[in-house]
Order: sequence, then structure tokens, then C-alpha cells
Amino acid sequence: MSAGLSLAHEPNSGVPHGKLAMWIFLASEIMFFSGFFGAFIVLRNSNLEMFSHSAAELNPYLALLNTFVLIGSSLTMALAILNLQRGNTKNYQLFMGLTIVCGFIFLVVKTIEYSTKFGHGIFPHTNVFFAFYFMMTGFHALHVILGLIPMIFMLSKSFTKGGYNKPVKVETLGLYWHFVDLVWIFLFPILYLIFPAHH
Amino acid sequence: MEHHDHPAPEVMIKQYIKIALVLFILTVLTLAASWNWVPASWGEIGSTVHILVGLIIAFVKAAMVIYIFMHIKFDNKFLRAFIFVPLFLFMVLSFALNVLGP
Repeated sequence: MSAGLSLAHEPNSGVPHGKLAMWIFLASEIMFFSGFFGAFIVLRNSNLEMFSHSAAELNPYLALLNTFVLIGSSLTMALAILNLQRGNTKNYQLFMGLTIVCGFIFLVVKTIEYSTKFGHGIFPHTNVFFAFYFMMTGFHALHVILGLIPMIFMLSKSFTKGGYNKPVKVETLGLYWHFVDLVWIFLFPILYLIFPAHH
Repeated sequence: MEHHDHPAPEVMIKQYIKIALVLFILTVLTLAASWNWVPASWGEIGSTVHILVGLIIAFVKAAMVIYIFMHIKFDNKFLRAFIFVPLFLFMVLSFALNVLGP
């Protein structure tokens, strides 16, 4: 960068382009999920009774387990990035592998939840609450699946001769993965916990 | 605080593990907060308190993930606007809609 450049017209944000693009994408993702959350809360306020009864049908302990799994995977993802930056391939593979395993555990638990609901005759068209439940958790699970694909690529590439040495790309994917964790942090209390009537 | 470098990797590892542990504890707390601990005499206000406690814990957890795991604490200040403006709008939305509800 030229030293004489005026700060007022500084064209360089100091952030890698891929990372910056990911942040902008994540900002749009917040608004995407906000639409769901906003509509959910408004509809819940006009259907208190039905929402409370329906929410009580959900299994908060499976959701708790999945929260632990996602937070754990955020930790292993952060450790994977750190190890790749330091050139420690063995540990990178270990932690990236663990992150992928956590992602799959999350999807398995989600599948168990869904099939239990289907077994009880509960479907997205059962009522508005379940329409939102399946929509929101479904879109979230889709995000998990879409995150797993590049992760599997980044892990398997590290086993090839050339190896994988693009820590910035893993860091960018890490941002996305932490965001998926973030969405779940809100889905967990809003769908499973704070709305059922316990009184 | 415009742009400071990451602490040493050993420090970061410790910080990541600490944050994950606190997130685990707050998750259990979220579940506990959903139990019936508000006196029945509080009536309608009781359910609002339940919702507020659940939401506040969620926003604290979100802040921890964004600050430490997503490196906003160590990254360019410029990036903060991208996440905090929409997150603030989301926060206002969720609190306002809950408080304005019946």
C-alpha cells in the first residue's frame, strides 16, 4: 500500500475479500432468520394457547444435546483453524474431523426428532407452530449440511500429497459455522423453552 | 483498539476452551430458567420474565460466540458494523414484539 494514500479515500479494508464477503452474507442471513423469528413471535402472541401446547410436545433434552454438540463443534472448528495456521496438520485433521463428526451427530439427533414427530402424526401442516418449527429447524439443518460439504473437502484435501494450506479459507468457513451455532442458540430457547406454558 | 493482533496461540486455546465451558453452563441455565421458578402470584408478568431471562441468556451467548469464536474482538473494527447493526435490529425486534404482546 502506498504510504501517501489519503486516509479519507482508503480503499483497503484490511480484511481478506473472502472474509469480508462472508460477513456481508452473514449480515443478510441475520435478516433472513429475523423474518422467521419476527413472524413466529407475532403469530405466537395471537395464538398463545395453541403455541404453548404445541411447544410442550417438543423434546427439550434432545435440543439441549444438540446445543452442546454445536457449541462443541464451534470449539473444535476454532482449534482446527488455529492448528492449520501453525502448520500442525495432524491436529488440524483431528479437530476438523471432530467438527464434521459433531455436524453429523447434530443431523442424526435432528432426524430422530423429526421422525418421532412424524410418528406421532405431527407434520408441518399440523398447525402454525409446527409449520414454523419445521421451517426454522429445517433451514437451520440445511445450513449445517451446506457447511459440512466444504469441511469434508478441506479435510480430505489435507490427506492428499499437496496437502491443504489455506487457513484463510478455513477461517472464512469457520465464521459461517459459528453463525450456524449462533442461530441455534436462539432457536433452542425460542422454540423449545421459553414459550411453553409451565403454569 | 482499532486493530490488534491475536494473542499467542496458547492463550487463544485457553480462551476458546473457557468460552466453550461458559457456553455449556449458560445452555444448562437456559433450560433451568424455563422451569417453573416464578411465583404464580406474578401472573402475566411471570411469563414475560421467563421470556426475558431466556432471551437475555441467548444474547449473552451470542455475544460470546461473536466476540471470541468469530474473532470480532481481535479483528478490524470495520467488520463490527456488519454484524452488530443487524443483530441490534434483531434484538430490538425480538424484545419489542415480546413486550408488546398480550
